[in-house]
Amino acid sequence: MGKSTQKPKLGILDEIEGESPMRARRTPAMTRRLLLTRGLAGLAATVRMSHRTAGAGSTSAAAGQATRADSLSASQENEIVLGMSAAFSGPSRGLGSELYRGAMAYFNHVNDKGGVNGCKILLKLYDDGYQPDPCVRNTMKLMLEDQVFLLFGYVGTPTVTRVLPLLKKFQDEKVYLFFPFTGAQPQREPPYGDFAFNLRASYRQETAGLVDNFLRVGKKRIAVFYQADAYGRSGWAGVRAALAAHGEQLAGEATYRRGQRFTGTMRAQVEILQSASPDAVICIGSYAACAAFARDAVDLGLRVPIANLSFVGSENLLQLLTEGRDDAERYTRHLVNSQVVPSYENTSIPAVREYRELMERYDPAVPRELVKEPYSPFPQSFVSLEGFLDAKLMTEILRRMGGGHDRAKLEKAVFSVRNYDLGIGERVSFGPDRRQGLQRVYYTVVEGGRFVTLDDWQGWVS
Amino acid sequence: MKIQKLFQKTRFGIFALFGLIVLSTSILCIYTVDTQLSAEYESNTRNIAKTIADASVDILLNRNLATLQSMIDQFVEIQGIRYIYITSESGEYLAHTFVPGIPEQVRSSDPSSTEPVERSIPGMGDFIEVGSPILAGVAGTVHVGMDLDLVALKIQRAIGQQVILICIFLVVGVLASIWFVNLAAKPLGGLLAYAVDLAGNRDPHPARDDELLARDDEVGDLARLFRYVSERRPGSMGSAAPPGQAG
Repeated sequence: MGKSTQKPKLGILDEIEGESPMRARRTPAMTRRLLLTRGLAGLAATVRMSHRTAGAGSTSAAAGQATRADSLSASQENEIVLGMSAAFSGPSRGLGSELYRGAMAYFNHVNDKGGVNGCKILLKLYDDGYQPDPCVRNTMKLMLEDQVFLLFGYVGTPTVTRVLPLLKKFQDEKVYLFFPFTGAQPQREPPYGDFAFNLRASYRQETAGLVDNFLRVGKKRIAVFYQADAYGRSGWAGVRAALAAHGEQLAGEATYRRGQRFTGTMRAQVEILQSASPDAVICIGSYAACAAFARDAVDLGLRVPIANLSFVGSENLLQLLTEGRDDAERYTRHLVNSQVVPSYENTSIPAVREYRELMERYDPAVPRELVKEPYSPFPQSFVSLEGFLDAKLMTEILRRMGGGHDRAKLEKAVFSVRNYDLGIGERVSFGPDRRQGLQRVYYTVVEGGRFVTLDDWQGWVS
Repeated sequence: MKIQKLFQKTRFGIFALFGLIVLSTSILCIYTVDTQLSAEYESNTRNIAKTIADASVDILLNRNLATLQSMIDQFVEIQGIRYIYITSESGEYLAHTFVPGIPEQVRSSDPSSTEPVERSIPGMGDFIEVGSPILAGVAGTVHVGMDLDLVALKIQRAIGQQVILICIFLVVGVLASIWFVNLAAKPLGGLLAYAVDLAGNRDPHPARDDELLARDDEVGDLARLFRYVSERRPGSMGSAAPPGQAG
């Protein structure tokens, strides 16, 4: 389970000439780019090696690994390789790890049952540490070197927004990005909307829902704490637009730099927002930074509801705030997190039951090669449930393609998904003007040391 | 015997001349480098602001602020660029790179101004900020802040390198001039000692005597002249004996 297999090394010409019929066909232009990329990659590897020899090398952000349930070689036929670049290291490593675990639970299940249209599904993984530049490099490798069939499960807005121009550049190859773990607008709108398919609701929908609910319960002065990058800006713009729709404005704003760890201080940010006297704060950040902010807000006396978006990784956030604390409830009672999937505790939902069963059965682990810092996965989490649903819909789309692996058929297969039941109660539809499958946003608060669904906002606030 | 007094003024003159050259060259160099590099950095900052402004039009019109933020995040990675912010035509801050928040010094300034302005922001440092209008200003303004401390450091480094080079020339020049003066002083010292020996009717050193008399320069001419005059002096060692005193 979660066993990994290394793709055997092939010579450049072997790989170009001895191409698997199940892989996407290379065009002459792609072959030229491949050779160029390999030449540059070889040069870069030489430089890295010389740096290491000199004892001054920096750690490489990317470590490739094709993983799946059985031990088939990636060079064999009857397989579909999906490329994934995500955060498996750094302060946001929990997101990539959980998303991967959820997706692999379903893909393992599919592969155990013979695959899709007779093909096993493989994930080619790279770690980008939630940093844009490694993500761009990984994507180049996935597209040109690894020749993956499609891109799947990318994590983060700053990373995805930098990859989108790459997809446009290679639009003739029709390499699509499926179900990135971000609710930002760039991959939902022109000029890049045609190159990505989204499953989750957008940040705009999440922030609008939070703002609507806060205003409904009388919390009119809303401030924003956000990551100083495209992700933070996307959420900031969502809150601003939602407030403007009600004739309100942001009460205040404070930012932090991406990569902030929980051990860092957020006192300056808390003080800035305190001076704005907000009724509520909406956080658009990663779990380490948002947990640090929630901790310092409570410590400095900013006792207002603190909302987080789905990207935060609720279980990771909760773990940081509660681990080793006797007064954990003090730090979590003000939290309200929006989610884009239902609660994994709600076993009345068929897909949740299936998810729990497959997570227990397979318990996928991130390949050791990608683990640079210790990480203890959660048995269930909102992020892994999202990964699971992503994989489930991806499998259905690949099934609808029928035999063959012509990327040109992919879009048609996606658009054929109409009112598809994923098993969560909300039906999924795609079309030329509809590149986002789900629309619903859920709200959760902490009760008994875990996030539970919030139905009564008024009651919670009072 | 050393010749000191004759060349003292020469040495002083050489030092003074070289010092003047070094001083004037250094001042000119500092002024030129400072002026040109400052202008260069300001020009680069202005170009970056203009590039962002030109690239922002479609993004702003589509209200795609995440893409706008992503773009300025890339520009702020350029060395020396410390902050970028974009304001709308109404002065609202649409995207920025400030952490933990927009400084009061920035908030209190005119958001539509494109004139270069120097700012001192507590906790951040000193900056020169230039602006560039987006779509002639009707879509907003891009502001780029260049770190003046870094610019000053770079200018100081460039000037320092030039001044070090000039100082090296000074030291080499002075040492060379001393060597040349010594080169000229050494045979004169020998000539002086030779003349003293002749005047005292002492036997000169044969080796030095031969060396001096063999020279084909002014020192050799003088040595031969001294010897000639000495030989014709009555009672000198080399003079001919008077008639009748011989044998």
